[in-house]
Amino acid sequence: MRPNEPYSTVDRLDRPSAYYNKNKRRRDHRDDDANGDAPAEPTVDPLANATTLYVGNLSFYTTEEQVYELFSKVGEIKRLIMGLDRFAKTPCGFCFVEYYTHQDALDCMKYIGGTKLDERIIRTDLDPGFEEGRQYGRGKSGGQVRDEYREDFDEGRGGVGRAIGSEYDDEPRR
Amino acid sequence: MGDYDRRQSGGYHRKRRFRDDDEHHDRRNQRRRMDSAPLPVRVRRQLLSIADSPMRRWSEEVQNIAFMVTDNYDDENLRSTFTKLAIQLHLEQPLKTPFVAAVLLVANTRKSELLGEFLTKLAESIESKIALGEWRDVKLHLKLLACLQSTLEGDGVFPLLDELFNRAADLQTASSDDTIGTELVKIIQLTIPYIMVSAHGQFHQKAAELMEKTDIIASEPHALQALVDPFIPESEDKSTASPSLCMLLQKQLQAEAGKDWELACLPRPWEMPLEDVELQEKLSSPSKHPLPAINIPVTVIAGPHPLFPEVYFSVYADQDAQSVPPSTSIASSLIRDGLIDTINILNYNRNVTARYLMDLDCYFAEGTFVKRATPFDELRNFPSNSSTWKPEDVAVDTVFSQIFQLPKAECKLVYYHSVLTEACKLAPAAIAPSLGRAIRFLYRNNPRMDLELSYRFLDWFSHHLSNFGFTWKWAEWTSDTDLPERHPCIWFLKGALDKEVRLSFAQRIQKTLPQEYHKFVGPEKEKDVPDFKFSNPDTPFSKEGQEIGALLRRKATDEEFEPLIESIHAQATEQALDPLVTSTDVFMTAVCWVGSKSLSHVLACIDRTKLRLLDVGAKSEAARSQIVTSVMDYWQAHPGIALSIIEKLLNYSVLTPFSVMDWALVAATTSNGTDGGFSLAQPHVFELVSHTVAKVTTRVRQLYTSSDIDEEGRAKETKAMRELFQAMNDALSSWAAGNKDEMMEDGDGTTTEEAMTRRWGQRWLRVFQRRAAIEEAFLLEAGKTAPAKADDSADAELIA
Repeated sequence: MRPNEPYSTVDRLDRPSAYYNKNKRRRDHRDDDANGDAPAEPTVDPLANATTLYVGNLSFYTTEEQVYELFSKVGEIKRLIMGLDRFAKTPCGFCFVEYYTHQDALDCMKYIGGTKLDERIIRTDLDPGFEEGRQYGRGKSGGQVRDEYREDFDEGRGGVGRAIGSEYDDEPRR
Repeated sequence: MGDYDRRQSGGYHRKRRFRDDDEHHDRRNQRRRMDSAPLPVRVRRQLLSIADSPMRRWSEEVQNIAFMVTDNYDDENLRSTFTKLAIQLHLEQPLKTPFVAAVLLVANTRKSELLGEFLTKLAESIESKIALGEWRDVKLHLKLLACLQSTLEGDGVFPLLDELFNRAADLQTASSDDTIGTELVKIIQLTIPYIMVSAHGQFHQKAAELMEKTDIIASEPHALQALVDPFIPESEDKSTASPSLCMLLQKQLQAEAGKDWELACLPRPWEMPLEDVELQEKLSSPSKHPLPAINIPVTVIAGPHPLFPEVYFSVYADQDAQSVPPSTSIASSLIRDGLIDTINILNYNRNVTARYLMDLDCYFAEGTFVKRATPFDELRNFPSNSSTWKPEDVAVDTVFSQIFQLPKAECKLVYYHSVLTEACKLAPAAIAPSLGRAIRFLYRNNPRMDLELSYRFLDWFSHHLSNFGFTWKWAEWTSDTDLPERHPCIWFLKGALDKEVRLSFAQRIQKTLPQEYHKFVGPEKEKDVPDFKFSNPDTPFSKEGQEIGALLRRKATDEEFEPLIESIHAQATEQALDPLVTSTDVFMTAVCWVGSKSLSHVLACIDRTKLRLLDVGAKSEAARSQIVTSVMDYWQAHPGIALSIIEKLLNYSVLTPFSVMDWALVAATTSNGTDGGFSLAQPHVFELVSHTVAKVTTRVRQLYTSSDIDEEGRAKETKAMRELFQAMNDALSSWAAGNKDEMMEDGDGTTTEEAMTRRWGQRWLRVFQRRAAIEEAFLLEAGKTAPAKADDSADAELIA
């Protein structure tokens, strides 16, 4: 949503998550803001024209082709970057999808985020754009940080958290 | 962010969990604060949720809000909050329009100035929406205005509708292709019922006069209607054509007039219960307001959304029990109209849309529907005087009416997929059986459906199943698996299962299928990396193939390939083969093989060899065709990957749209993919051609809507597009008539196979004739506006 658009009577699904706004101190209590007078935002929104999405909660076994098949349903994909384990260089459960237009990225948030791919509910978030290095997991083990301390057993993401279950043999799915 | 974010974060994540807790905490506080919340906040909250509750305490909700606003009429902030929100709410959530109207009507009994002011604002908005050609908003405004008819002086909304009709009549007289006039007539027709329900028992004569006028336009089939019919009859029998929406509405209105405007399905939230008899009396003799002047420009415009005649489509039309309103009943149009607008407007929150679908019965009169989740089989036992309409069926039917809207649905199709997915998640037990019956209808009718719609069905079906563990009762179609390979049922099964595999993987899908279906997901689909044919020493040029593969692997320079290519050329010439075609096959197949690990790999490999491929493609049409053939052959078990590669080759201009189309349909070169017309019966070939054409038309449209006018580029691309459509038309016409050379070689034109191929030709032909017609219509419109107002085209791009 562009900053000056009036609030609609229903929340929108094509807003970025709190992740990129985490530096903003003040929480935005817009739900009950009857006046609708949003405070002026002087800073430039890095996501205002974002064409890239971060896609999370993928299975480690989900392939580029599967991502292509699903994400092409909202528009042609310009570029797809699979998230890799920093050491093993194998998929570690996230990717970046870049579209040609901002609208396609917003539509992806609305229509694909929160649906299933490879039988997992995936998460999408608007992203200011891919930069070299961001394709690698930032956890100590080389994967994503969230996989280090997970308590549950997630077959699609290498079993239990890596900091907890020390050695778990990855069984290839196919 | 949507709720799903929170639902799925099962993992341990300190930050996230903390934030979640925080949010719950906030909400509890809000609820406690509710009563002491400032008045505008309370009004906003209550108006937003009006009629949402299945408790149906309409009069209470309506009075609460109306009293709050009128008791505090002096609070300017409150007044403006209310007015703004009432305007916004009926535009964004149109099923609530009668309830918003009821609040205004009750408020009018206490503070008539409020309604006076509101009407001024509403009239202003109507005027500006008409000027902009925002016809849906005009319709939604008029619906609200019609609900206020009882408070309007004189004939109320009728003079405005008469004026709109005059514009429609002028437009229709000027051109039979006109679509704005049809749209205006539809708006008038959909407004009349709300007038009649508001001013109960009055204006019968006015309505009859207006309907007499609309009848002239509505009863005439529109010139473009045949193009947007969801079905393509196998014989040229006009009587099977689907009726247009305007035509249906006209008949429904006449039937309703005959029943004294009963309009049983519409809610009447302005009718108060017995204990409020005093208020009811005031409502029956309200203070009246003049309708503020609304200026309609002499020339109305089509607006930002392309207009087409609409055809009524229902997936529950041929059932033995009436689970949706029949197309003879005005209820079918009124319920659907409100729901379609809700679905399309709320495309930014599919969860809310799905809620609306599930709670549909809340917004209509008591007794319109049977109880939620009533099993279909029970409908037959219902007494004849009670409704048998299942709310789930009406909801599902409406979503499908959008998926199967020609030429184009308002939103991207995947949106409607996601709405059905959410609806299934909300109420699986209620929705799944309705979907099942819809799927069976669509499957049965697939052979006579427009091919584009058959493809949309296939795409939705596979995507939907991918969200629900790929479970479907395949056993019921088992007998169809033995049909001839060009049969439309095989087309569907093969296409749907291929798409399932693309979203998952072969072994997983095999597990969901009875044995008879395994031939569609054969062992070749299990292989992630298809065999490299040149690994087999018996394949001609296997040595060169392997060597080129090895060179590609080690990212050799382009010069290093040259000796091998030349050796292939020499051998091919000896064997009387086309040298370039032969070497292209070896090279392109090797590129596919070396890049077979993933799309990134093959794209990187193509990127490195782009110059060579461009050079080859530029040299001959046959070589270009061979590039397509090699990609399609290598990835024949995984057409989805082949299509992605070809898409990129088109982007790199290694291939031209013409060469792809030629490969699939025309067969001008020997290395084509028509396979005696079998290509027409392949779902992925339709997908390929369809995407390729879409690429071309999108490009042309961009050139016309872009702010910097590139006349040369426009002319060039438009010419190329027209040539493409013309060539397709020629090729498909021959397939459809059965006089394509490749077809005649094989037989005498009487076999079932030939008949099926002709039918495929007809179905393809219709799709691309329509696409061509739509682009011509676009060019015509663009030609009218583009040169004169260069500045506006930038805005058009923003809107689009």
